[in-house]
Amino acid sequence: MRQSITDLIKYTSSGLYCSVADVWIDPSKPVKRALITHAHMDHFTFGCDEYISTFETAIILKDRLGKEINIKTYDYNKEFKINGTKISFHPSGHILGSSQIKFNLAEEKWLITGDFKRQKDETCKEYEIVKTDFLISESTFGLPIFKWDEPQNTAIDITKWVSHSPKKVSILFCYSLGKAQRLLNEISKTNFKNNIHTHRSIFKVNNCYKKSGIDIVKTNKFDQTKNIADLKGSLLLLPPALHRSAFLKNLKDIQTGFASGWMSIRALRKRSGYDKGFSISDHADWDAILNTIKESQAKNVFFHHGDSEALNRYLKEKTSINVLEFGYTK
Amino acid sequence: MTLKNFSRLFLDLDSCNSTNKKIEILQNYFSSNKALENSWTIYLLTGKNNKRFISGLSLKTLFSEIYEYPLWLIDYCYLKVGDSAEVISLLLDDKIKIKNKKYQDVSLHELLNKSFPELSILKEDNKKLRLKEIWENIPKDNHLVLNKILTGTFRVGVSIGLITKAIAKLINLDESIISHRLMGNFIPSHESYKLLINKKIDPSELNYKPYPFLLANTFERKIIDKSINEFQFEWKWDGIRIQLIKRAGEVSIWTRGQDLVNKSFPELEEKISHIKDDFVIDGELLVWNFKEGLPLNFSFLQKRINRKKPSRSIQKSLPIIFIAYDLLEINGEDQRGSNLEIRRINLEKYIFKWLNERQELPLIFKLSDLIYPKNWEEVETFKNNSRDNGTEGLVIKNKKSIYTPGRKKGLWWKYKVDPMQLDAVLIYAKGGTGIRAGLYTDYSFALWKNGELIKFASAYSGLNNSEIKELDKWIKQNTIERFGPVRSVKPEMVFEISFENIRASKRHKSGIAVRFPRITKWRKDKLIKDADTLENAEKLMLNK
Repeated sequence: MRQSITDLIKYTSSGLYCSVADVWIDPSKPVKRALITHAHMDHFTFGCDEYISTFETAIILKDRLGKEINIKTYDYNKEFKINGTKISFHPSGHILGSSQIKFNLAEEKWLITGDFKRQKDETCKEYEIVKTDFLISESTFGLPIFKWDEPQNTAIDITKWVSHSPKKVSILFCYSLGKAQRLLNEISKTNFKNNIHTHRSIFKVNNCYKKSGIDIVKTNKFDQTKNIADLKGSLLLLPPALHRSAFLKNLKDIQTGFASGWMSIRALRKRSGYDKGFSISDHADWDAILNTIKESQAKNVFFHHGDSEALNRYLKEKTSINVLEFGYTK
Repeated sequence: MTLKNFSRLFLDLDSCNSTNKKIEILQNYFSSNKALENSWTIYLLTGKNNKRFISGLSLKTLFSEIYEYPLWLIDYCYLKVGDSAEVISLLLDDKIKIKNKKYQDVSLHELLNKSFPELSILKEDNKKLRLKEIWENIPKDNHLVLNKILTGTFRVGVSIGLITKAIAKLINLDESIISHRLMGNFIPSHESYKLLINKKIDPSELNYKPYPFLLANTFERKIIDKSINEFQFEWKWDGIRIQLIKRAGEVSIWTRGQDLVNKSFPELEEKISHIKDDFVIDGELLVWNFKEGLPLNFSFLQKRINRKKPSRSIQKSLPIIFIAYDLLEINGEDQRGSNLEIRRINLEKYIFKWLNERQELPLIFKLSDLIYPKNWEEVETFKNNSRDNGTEGLVIKNKKSIYTPGRKKGLWWKYKVDPMQLDAVLIYAKGGTGIRAGLYTDYSFALWKNGELIKFASAYSGLNNSEIKELDKWIKQNTIERFGPVRSVKPEMVFEISFENIRASKRHKSGIAVRFPRITKWRKDKLIKDADTLENAEKLMLNK
């Protein structure tokens, strides 16, 4: 039962939970009913009785969890009700199908941003500004040192990096879902003519994107049993889990790179163990988080995912917005 | 034309992991830039005496005041980045928004010789104006390098060896000659670079310069297959390695780190200057207890090194000794091509002569004693007892070895006594800086005393990257209290801490101080009740 105005959504050991609707958001443990903001591995889990997401997210979820899962889909902006609570999905601009989730109960509005970005990305729907009373925002990159460059500049850096080493295989590590497709799309807009190979996990997601009507440039499916000499001078996209994997150790004449927002910090770049870091992120940077809060007109803000101490203090000092901490229940 | 080029060089080197590629990059750079700029580049890359024009703290403060930016927010960013120069360059990206501006390119010489020294002595208000002007007139991607030079923290993964190789390749000259020329004080100028790349070798120019040191390898068990008679054995002293040079009436005292330390040890300089012969001797400098004939702890030596003008009373209370162990040059003749046996005979001959001639010399100068183990078992015994005479093991030298630069295999070995060890409990953790920023990597450990855990040592090294990450996560989840960057954690984790020496200390609550502590094992198998007591530590101190 709700005890006060600020706890429609609580933080539990399984993730965010709305007690009135009796529904979890991106739970980390199996629960009865789960709203899924997007299909990145750390935002859903196996074994929930019921999943609810956008249509696009469901395509990928089925691909990852199996076709037999019980999943209900709703279009963006289409309101539905659970236990009397009005709920709707809104584009968050993070990856294909990613959404913010709005809760509306007795004229009190709550918005969970999920992972979001404000930069342009042609592979998914653009972030929609949604007005709310309470905002639960991600804060992965909640420091002013994070300020993203235009993705097209990063794509050009990547193509230069590949072209300058024609005798090497240039292996770029990036997340299979979202980041890979965005990179491919940005690279397709440059005059890069070399071959591009993608790991099967990326190849598979590319097909999911195509099913949803998003055109992804054609790539060769990477087969590690094939003669590696064929790859010389080409760009190979692999998921980060394969970095330092056994078969890479046998490869000579390779250079490795990693595409992530964290790569904008030299210490992290050096520590990462990749030869080169390319800064590109599907999350909001500092300015984008602050703008989003402002545009949402929220009076109360919670932060979720990431260090938020700097954001907390900044909002307290510079604005009249309430920064709240989650009530925690088991 | 060149802060830009130098920034480019920095970025290229910074994102390159191949040694050969780095040499190529350097070679290209040196051949396409002017001598004066190259000299400053070498000065910066070797990072020998990089001057600090502004401290990291005042760089943050100045930025905060110039752009009315909250200092606490800069500090939060610092925790993530671990480098003031980089934090400010990242924040500058946001503050300087003018596009399509015609940027200036300044020379390194102009910056390091004029702009920065002038800036550093300006009064606060003018300093702010001047710094703002500098920042806003150079392109964004030069800010990092500029700030690093300003704060004296410029470093990139390039060793002096790599620069030596690049220059040697560039002019097609032997590496050891370049290495010779690069030793010691390299004062940037058009001439110094021209001298560096001069294809002709002038002996007089090298008068005050040391030879590159021969470095010992770690003991390899395979050498015990050889006859003991092939080797020379000496004690391994825990002092600083020194090359003592007297040529043409001038004495130079060089450390292995290529610092000239005459000023810290004036009594050595003075007494050596009376010797009639010219020479270059390799040896060890120690603070010595003349009554007992034993060295004092390294910390006393550190006090001496840090003082550039030691008073008479310091010279008296912390007397030094130079232990000679190799003769590299005598009266202008290079001895390094002779094998060790012959060098040793000459070393003894000359040292006995000098000690006889100058009565004051034995009070500061001594020959390194040889040890004569009969077999390899006895070597082991000598090593294990080395703490008895204040040494940390043995140095084993191939009698046939010639004196070659660097750590070549098969010449000298250091055979160190096993470190002392205690199992201790992790109680505090502190955030790291630089490459370890954002992770808790500086740890404090405690031992039991009457049921209480007393801090006894701090250590930074010894864990591998995945252990660091695992421990970092554990620390974040098991924090009891925070004091700024430091967290106290639940006493739960036990680590094996190794160290080289232990002594009584009034400055520490535990009453003991250890030298070079490091983590050698994460004892997940142990509970905190199994950790050592302070009493055990005191026993170690008595038994050493």
